[in-house]
Amino acid sequence: MTDFVFFGGKGGVGKTTVSSAYALECATVGEETLVVSTDPAHSTTDVFGQQFSDEPQSVEGYDGLSAMEIDPEEEVQDHLLDLKRQLNSQLSAAMVNEVDIQLEMAHQTPGAYEAALFDRFVDVMQNAEAYDRVVFDTSPTGSTLRLLALPELLEQWIDRLMAKRRRSIDLYEKAAIGNQEPRRVMDGDPVLARLQGRKERFEFAGDVLREQAAFYLVLNPDELSIRETRRSVETLTEAELPVRGLVVNRLTPEPDPDEEGRGARYLRDRVATERDRLDRIDDEFDVPVVATIETRVEEVRGSILDDVATELEIAGPSADLLNEQVSPDES
Amino acid sequence: MTLADRIESFRVTLEEWLRGLYHGMFTHPAYEKIEQEAEDTEDAFMLACFPDAFGIPSPVSYYTAELLPYLEDEFSAWERRMWDRQSIVERKGHQYHF
Repeated sequence: MTDFVFFGGKGGVGKTTVSSAYALECATVGEETLVVSTDPAHSTTDVFGQQFSDEPQSVEGYDGLSAMEIDPEEEVQDHLLDLKRQLNSQLSAAMVNEVDIQLEMAHQTPGAYEAALFDRFVDVMQNAEAYDRVVFDTSPTGSTLRLLALPELLEQWIDRLMAKRRRSIDLYEKAAIGNQEPRRVMDGDPVLARLQGRKERFEFAGDVLREQAAFYLVLNPDELSIRETRRSVETLTEAELPVRGLVVNRLTPEPDPDEEGRGARYLRDRVATERDRLDRIDDEFDVPVVATIETRVEEVRGSILDDVATELEIAGPSADLLNEQVSPDES
Repeated sequence: MTLADRIESFRVTLEEWLRGLYHGMFTHPAYEKIEQEAEDTEDAFMLACFPDAFGIPSPVSYYTAELLPYLEDEFSAWERRMWDRQSIVERKGHQYHF
């Protein structure tokens, strides 16, 4: 069974680095791994120094590692074009314009990005048999969390829509007294069928997210990022998708003890504040800190990525591995 | 024309009138009533599907947009009804032919 691991967090905390490093680590221990990036800026391309598309592609130089990049904007456009094509083939010319406006509007609502992304995520999940582990490098907090809390909400929505539709069809059927043809028939109603299909997709996603997925949040040792992380933990827990662990990234390295001078003092101060904050994170969050990563001078890529990967010790959704990892932290 | 024929044609006419009268007085209003109720329910369904037509963002409009190709009749009828509708009384009053 494929395991799905999600990395979330505020923008700019290093999610891509952490998820790439994690994926690399999984690949190194012999698991077929896929990294899925949803960042339109496409930082996986920078990390691995290779261009990726929205189809999985193996990463050069690493065995068992593949990557793909999803562009929500493009997904929304594709969806729109697809529907327009269908409209043109099915609707009378007079209606096309009318309905076109509605379509355009639907694709500009705030939720369209999330919906498109969610759709792609489900696609990836449905076609993930080839991989032992799929690592999602999600887009910054707000949208991602809404995205992952979606299935429950959407299932309910679709349920209500279907109930309404059923009732009106039922009434139409009843209105057809004698041998009149009812205006709508329940059997083979394409709208109900479509809604049912959607509903099944949401259920699938909900099941997979609850049972086969693990969530990790990446944060930096600064106030903003801690606060945002707290909100994320709450949202995810509310959606019954508990966060497995926190990864603290960009810790300041400590200077050597014999070093004196402005730079060393600055670093020592910083390290002290960060240690405080780390302690606070330990105290205030129910979620264990599973890894801490020091900041790098250069962009993380190539061999530095390997280093980061070794600093990272996160277990996937398989619980026994996780417990081993967590217990020393808690003691 | 024999008497029997005249009686026959009279009966046919009478039957047609009676059926028409019965249909006009009972079946049709009943049919109309139920159908209007069905339309109202359908309006609610359409509104739930496309609230952004009225400027209300919906979390699922991206998905319900997929239904549009199948909703040609419903969509135009819905829009027409939405334009027509003055008040709920006016709508509900339609069924009584004063």
